[in-house]
Amino acid sequence: MNEIFDKLLIRILFTLFICLALFIYKYAHVIFYPSNKKQILKKIYPSENYIDTLHIFSRLIGISLIFSTLEFNEYIGISISTFHFFVWSVVGICFYLLSIYILENIIFYNFEYKDEVLKKKNPAYGVVSFANAICLAFIIKTIFKESDNSIIILIILWLFSLVLFGFSTRLFKFVSKLSFNSLMIQKNLGLSFAYTGFLFGNTVIIMAAFSHEHHDIGSYMVQVILKTLLGALILPIFKYGLTLIFKVSESVNQGLQEENIHLGHGIYIGAVYLTCSLLTSIIIAQIHFGTIYPFF
Amino acid sequence: MNKLIIYGILLLTYLGLSKSLSPNEFGIKYVNSDQSLSDLIPGSPVSVILTDIHSTGFIIKTYYHKYKVVFGFQSYEELIVRTSRIFTEKYKNYLGMSVFRRYKIDQQESFTPLPPGSIFIGDKNFGNWEFKDSTNKEWKFFRVYRQIPKYLGWGDFKPTFKIYNKIKLHESQDKPFIGSNDEFGINGTITRKAFPKYFDRQSPKEAKLNNFLKDYVKENFIK
Repeated sequence: MNEIFDKLLIRILFTLFICLALFIYKYAHVIFYPSNKKQILKKIYPSENYIDTLHIFSRLIGISLIFSTLEFNEYIGISISTFHFFVWSVVGICFYLLSIYILENIIFYNFEYKDEVLKKKNPAYGVVSFANAICLAFIIKTIFKESDNSIIILIILWLFSLVLFGFSTRLFKFVSKLSFNSLMIQKNLGLSFAYTGFLFGNTVIIMAAFSHEHHDIGSYMVQVILKTLLGALILPIFKYGLTLIFKVSESVNQGLQEENIHLGHGIYIGAVYLTCSLLTSIIIAQIHFGTIYPFF
Repeated sequence: MNKLIIYGILLLTYLGLSKSLSPNEFGIKYVNSDQSLSDLIPGSPVSVILTDIHSTGFIIKTYYHKYKVVFGFQSYEELIVRTSRIFTEKYKNYLGMSVFRRYKIDQQESFTPLPPGSIFIGDKNFGNWEFKDSTNKEWKFFRVYRQIPKYLGWGDFKPTFKIYNKIKLHESQDKPFIGSNDEFGINGTITRKAFPKYFDRQSPKEAKLNNFLKDYVKENFIK
């Protein structure tokens, strides 16, 4: 009975410790963000500004996703495992916030958080920002797993994944005819759905490209590049196949409102891109070929 | 049209990068001629035996050869090389035979397919002829080289003076020699015993659909 009680107590202590890590995150958020983004320190009223709520809680979901990779190994000692969790959670928080900072500067280079969220309450901005935060959390979770507790490898993989993801966000014009900047200003939800599907799709492909065994970092990176390139080759085939099988026509009927056209098109683009990316991830990560060596 | 061009460029980039950066390409040499095989093998005296042939690929095949490189004065080495289809076809019938040898004297080289270790037979540095009966002589390695027949996969094969003469004759005429009773080569009895892996792969076990389904259900849904 004592042992069971001890274990429960340790679990509760670790729960409190994770809450402490979230507290650290709250203040780290302020460090990484300029003064006008200190919203996180204020009391949050979710019903007042749902875009801001979406914006703030997307980061919390993201950080929880990253924390879900970390492990407490009580058998190596409570103090050591707590210290390990502390160090890696701080590393995770820093990398995550830095990633969001960099990527938001790439995606929203024409837009300001203060204007779009606090003043205009732009839902398109909120949804895209939400998707970006979740996608980055998934990518960082993957590289945390792959780095296998090596900070050097983690830094290399983080930089590499950031370059890949950052580059992929610039390819939206090849996927959809929706104009990002003009529709974002118009608070167009169709754009936000299209871009969300696009970001999630890219994330799925990048995660699939990173998920394989590695013995040396050089050949691992080569494989990641090759898998990403393969993804870029396979995805259009799936897209073409889907539109052919389900007889999708992108031509516009006369008399429809432009907002409805954009919304329908955005949902279609986002859903198809995500579907194709998930199917592509099977091709690039889940088909395993043998080597010649076992035969000899 | 622009999209097609971009797709084409991506495809070429992928194929180029895969080819040049693939780990499968590292550390494995390409042999498509006798000379390129000779360049890979250092030292003398040496006998190179083709012990296995394998091809990978569903549509576009890649061919591999496995060689056993038996040196006179040291242990053997195994060598896997990538080859061409033509080179594979050329030597396919000579599996288990020596396809290259380099003599100590003048570093003379020969590519005539002969029984494995022909280079050592009759060489007074490695053994001598012993009378089996009043007319027949049999080659026997010195005690210090007693492992060589094992390396060569001879089994019960005992080269006689008659076989030695035939080997020399075939070598001088550059004609393959698969043994007096066809013991060597792809259909040879000694080859089948000494290098069974190739033959095991050629005759896959018979699989019955019923048994397969039963095992599959048991493995995946019951266990």
